[in-house]
Amino acid sequence: MRRDNNVKKKAGFIAIFLSAMFIVLCFSGCVEQEEKAEIKNPKTLVRYTIGDAKTLDPADCYDTASSEPIFQIYETLVTYRGDDTKTFYPLLATDWSVSNDSLTWTFNLRQNVKFSNGNDFTAEDVKYSFDRVLTMGAPESGVDWIFAQCMDTNSTTVINDYEIQIELTQPYGGFLALLPYTIGSIVDKDYVEANGGVVEGEENEYLKLHPMGTGPYVLDHWTRATEIVLNKNPNYWGGWEGNHVDKVVIKFADEPATRILALKNGDADFTYVPYSNLEDVIGEEGIVVNPFDSYDVVLCAINTKASNNEYLTDSQVRKALSYAFDYDSAIENAFNGYASRLPGAIPVGMPYYETQNNGQPVYDYDLTMAEQILDDAGYTKNYDLDGTLYRFNGRTIRLFYNAGNSEREKMAVMFRGALDEIGILSSVIAEGWPQLLHRMYTTDDWDLMFIGWGPDYNDPDDYIDPFVGATDTFNTGYTNDTVFEKILEGKYSADTNVREAAYETAYDIYIEEPPFLFICQRQYIRPWRDWVQNYSYNPVREWYFYDYYKAYE
Amino acid sequence: MDRILPHFKALDDFLKKHESKIKDLKFMGHLFRKSLLSMIGLLLILIMIFLALFAPLIASQHPSYVKVSTEQGTTVTEERWDIDFDQKLLPPSGEHLFGTDDYGRDIFSMVIYGSQTSFRISIIVVAVSTLIGIILGGIAGYFGGIIDEILMRITDIFLAIPYLILAMAVAAALGRSIDHIMEALIIVWWPTYARLMRGQVLAVREQQYVEAARSIGASNPRILIRHILPNAFSPLLVEITLDLGAVLLVAAGLSFIGLGASPGTAEWGLMISSGRIHMLHAWWYVTFPGLAILFVVLGFNLLGDGLRDITDPKLRR
Amino acid sequence: MKTWEFIVRRLLLLIPVLIGVTIITFTVSHVIPSDPARAFAGGPKAQPDVIERITKELHLDEPIWMQYFYYLNDIIHFNLGKSYLESRPVSDSLSQYFPATFELTIFAMFFAIPLGIVGGIISAIRRNKLSDHITRIIAIAGYSLPIFWLALMLQYSFAYQIPILPLEGRLGIGMDAPSSITGLYVIDSILTGNLETLGSSLYHIILPAFTLGFATLALILRMTRSSMLEVMGMDYIRTGRAKGLSERSIIFKHALRNALIPTITVTGLAFGGLLGGAVLTETIFNWPGMGRFAAAAVLGFDFNAVMGFTILIAIIYVSANLIVDILYAVVDPRVKLGGG
Repeated sequence: MRRDNNVKKKAGFIAIFLSAMFIVLCFSGCVEQEEKAEIKNPKTLVRYTIGDAKTLDPADCYDTASSEPIFQIYETLVTYRGDDTKTFYPLLATDWSVSNDSLTWTFNLRQNVKFSNGNDFTAEDVKYSFDRVLTMGAPESGVDWIFAQCMDTNSTTVINDYEIQIELTQPYGGFLALLPYTIGSIVDKDYVEANGGVVEGEENEYLKLHPMGTGPYVLDHWTRATEIVLNKNPNYWGGWEGNHVDKVVIKFADEPATRILALKNGDADFTYVPYSNLEDVIGEEGIVVNPFDSYDVVLCAINTKASNNEYLTDSQVRKALSYAFDYDSAIENAFNGYASRLPGAIPVGMPYYETQNNGQPVYDYDLTMAEQILDDAGYTKNYDLDGTLYRFNGRTIRLFYNAGNSEREKMAVMFRGALDEIGILSSVIAEGWPQLLHRMYTTDDWDLMFIGWGPDYNDPDDYIDPFVGATDTFNTGYTNDTVFEKILEGKYSADTNVREAAYETAYDIYIEEPPFLFICQRQYIRPWRDWVQNYSYNPVREWYFYDYYKAYE
Repeated sequence: MDRILPHFKALDDFLKKHESKIKDLKFMGHLFRKSLLSMIGLLLILIMIFLALFAPLIASQHPSYVKVSTEQGTTVTEERWDIDFDQKLLPPSGEHLFGTDDYGRDIFSMVIYGSQTSFRISIIVVAVSTLIGIILGGIAGYFGGIIDEILMRITDIFLAIPYLILAMAVAAALGRSIDHIMEALIIVWWPTYARLMRGQVLAVREQQYVEAARSIGASNPRILIRHILPNAFSPLLVEITLDLGAVLLVAAGLSFIGLGASPGTAEWGLMISSGRIHMLHAWWYVTFPGLAILFVVLGFNLLGDGLRDITDPKLRR
Repeated sequence: MKTWEFIVRRLLLLIPVLIGVTIITFTVSHVIPSDPARAFAGGPKAQPDVIERITKELHLDEPIWMQYFYYLNDIIHFNLGKSYLESRPVSDSLSQYFPATFELTIFAMFFAIPLGIVGGIISAIRRNKLSDHITRIIAIAGYSLPIFWLALMLQYSFAYQIPILPLEGRLGIGMDAPSSITGLYVIDSILTGNLETLGSSLYHIILPAFTLGFATLALILRMTRSSMLEVMGMDYIRTGRAKGLSERSIIFKHALRNALIPTITVTGLAFGGLLGGAVLTETIFNWPGMGRFAAAAVLGFDFNAVMGFTILIAIIYVSANLIVDILYAVVDPRVKLGGG
């Protein structure tokens, strides 16, 4: 019958189609690899990442995503090159000197430099840029504090067209380290004046979207949530001889699968791959995976204030908690092994790291030790909840982290299990970031919170003061006058011996009554294609596209 | 003999009185059995209910429930699973039918226990929405006038916002927990039932026999209960069945975005969200919870469809 | 009641509805204790002067009913406030993202409507045959699927395992968008004669549109099928058959037109629903539209963005319903507008 034949025909077609699909699926994995993949877009560097930029105005930029394009378009007086975090390289300044009291710095500026619009670069532009930061006051980001801590609008003086002098308002040991950050970018005075100028407390809408710098690249277009494209600045003073790329594309894609596929196809030269997905690219043809130590640290802040939880005010309890955390397991399972132990407030690679017990962590995962400390301190397991015995009269220790962060989620869940074993009842709570901030700074209603911290500039003061100094950025309530004193000593002095001794004393004290669980220091991994040359990672100045190029060598 | 006969007689009278209704029911049952798709739907749901009820016997791993106190005073029950990082992200095998997740937990067990959570959410949301909707819609429909206008405007407002958006906003505001998404979903869903009930009430109000009953002197609540509710029953039942599935989809969507279940809970939407980043090297993590959702929602939709076909007088042959 | 009276009445009713929407979204955004000012100022690194400035700007230090009135006042002046996630006015963000979502929704409908109607007709004609049953199961499965799961499965299968379609985005890498006339890449490509972007944008819209439209396709299919069945059994059809009219002319002339009426209703409602479904699809396919923006705004506690977005969606949704109701009345003269 005709109808039945039709059905049979259809069934036949379907069967063939499905078989064909099946065969294609099988073979898609076994295609022979070619010799070496052809370099795609040889004069363009493409980087796939997440998180769009917020602004292109260096005077009001405090996030990594915005700083990336800014670093290619603008230049600072001095900078870091390659993976060197110790040497300051002359960029817009050719040489410099400092007075004996460490308060007055003099810079000789580079001559024959032009902004990409053709205007000359002079000392006027430097004074204008620095004063602009302080006057405008970084209304969106607050980044001006970096300069405001040791400078004001009278600090910078123009000596002549190519010489500038900066008189600090107070000594700051790490002053030179402030300049390479985006805040130290030099803008074109005439350009800014013609486009909105400087208004106290207000952002400059024009400069936010239309940058004008002396750097090797200029903005082609910025399509929000999609990409930022930079083209080469033909008038760049550094010239274009040698190996450089003409175009830089920064693409935003939230899906890891997208970024990984782009890398495999060669459409992307660099890409951000989360730790859990590294196994999808390791070993793949043409892809290099190389971890670097970054300055990004992972900590768990403890609220030591008595108003919240009387048990956490006891430093013995905090010591016990430090013994109860399985650091190695956290590194292995939350960060897939791509992290290293953090002994204290200062990460490895920064000066004075060795003042922390020579880099050896004091605490290791030891539940027996934790229990003993608690027992000795008198916190016995005397509370019965459904058959299990707990300490602290059954008081729940709440472990907070910001929702969406899977690494912190893993650590929290692991820690909860360990705490259970030593008789501490705990609970894992994920909340939105603004909620957590409200708890931390307004209501003080939190016990433990997993947090992270990244560098503003390459000086330990950027870490130790916020954590255990009087600044108490995380509002832990930790107080120790000696520690505070020592940190100030280290902050103001430029003498290495003084700083070393100060930080060592501080460490020996605060590590015995820790207001944090010092967990780990993350590694920085941005897999790239093997045709990328001359790439190196710098923890305080990522991405210097002018130095990289594409070739097989 | 004399003692038995009266009982038979009472039964006989009862049957005679409701003869037409019983005929209807028999016919419907007959139709139902003829509709293959609704039988399949019913089967899917029964399987899932079975799994949910007998989870402790079927699953290989089991969560523990610990009562912790959160804000000063309140207690919350946390669902906890044992972690075993050595077993993380294993593909499906004899020991782990659906593989393991990134904490080393057995996905099959989590899917089974997840069905308990899913049913709980669906049933509670639909039950409460229906209750609120019936009451409010019934009142509005019966009394009409300004009360009706106000209710219509209010439901207009709620229905003007796409349900996912409204649920998202409410859930975000209340905080991340299963109880809160249930509250958010109830807020989103009750207008549908209010409208439905109101429509039913209006339809029946026009019926002659209500007028007739009133003329005899029957009081208002009696009219409502005896005449309106039974007639509203069928479309209400269809809506409820279909919504049980729809609620589950939205709840899973909310958990997927990160607004629903707390981390570490076995909830299908949350599992898909956690599994997303592992899709390239652990496809099972995303696939099986998704299939579970499909299974249950399909069941409710098939069943609801079948019920609609049966109870819709226009389609009866 | 005349048509224009009906329209005016409905438009007037729009106002209290919108006010209600603003109340709900406002309440919802401000219920939970949180510190958005500090979050936008940079979290732990936030400087007190910036926090204070943002707090004043958002009027967060004033009583909540005052905040509501500031908000209402702004809305009336078409000021939706500033999105802190994107550091620019909410209206800027919405106007950039709206065309993307609109394009996606249109293509989803292009895909869902014809296939749904055709499928529904075939299914109705071959009622209770095997093809009918299979079509019905696929259709029901279509809206039983969690859309985000479908998106992931499709993405994995057709963009990763068998890479025949792109994983995400609207255009290929490094490709410049066509000059913006409407904001819809496909239309703009045609208008500017840019074949390269035309191809690329079509190529990129396939998977997301399919995902988004799949549930609607299923719905339309079922709707068409059941209304076709209903109509086909009606008296005037039987009369037509008795008169000897061919099956085909009966179907196309009479059954179809009447069967389309409920389909129009469903389509209108689906349009609004699609805007909601776009949230999940856009997130997975990295489609820079309003849905993705909404999800980020909700999770990021960007109040202004959430409220602005909700108002816009509500207006669109209610307008779509209004248009559908009018179309409904135009197509089916039996329907009295403004009836109970």
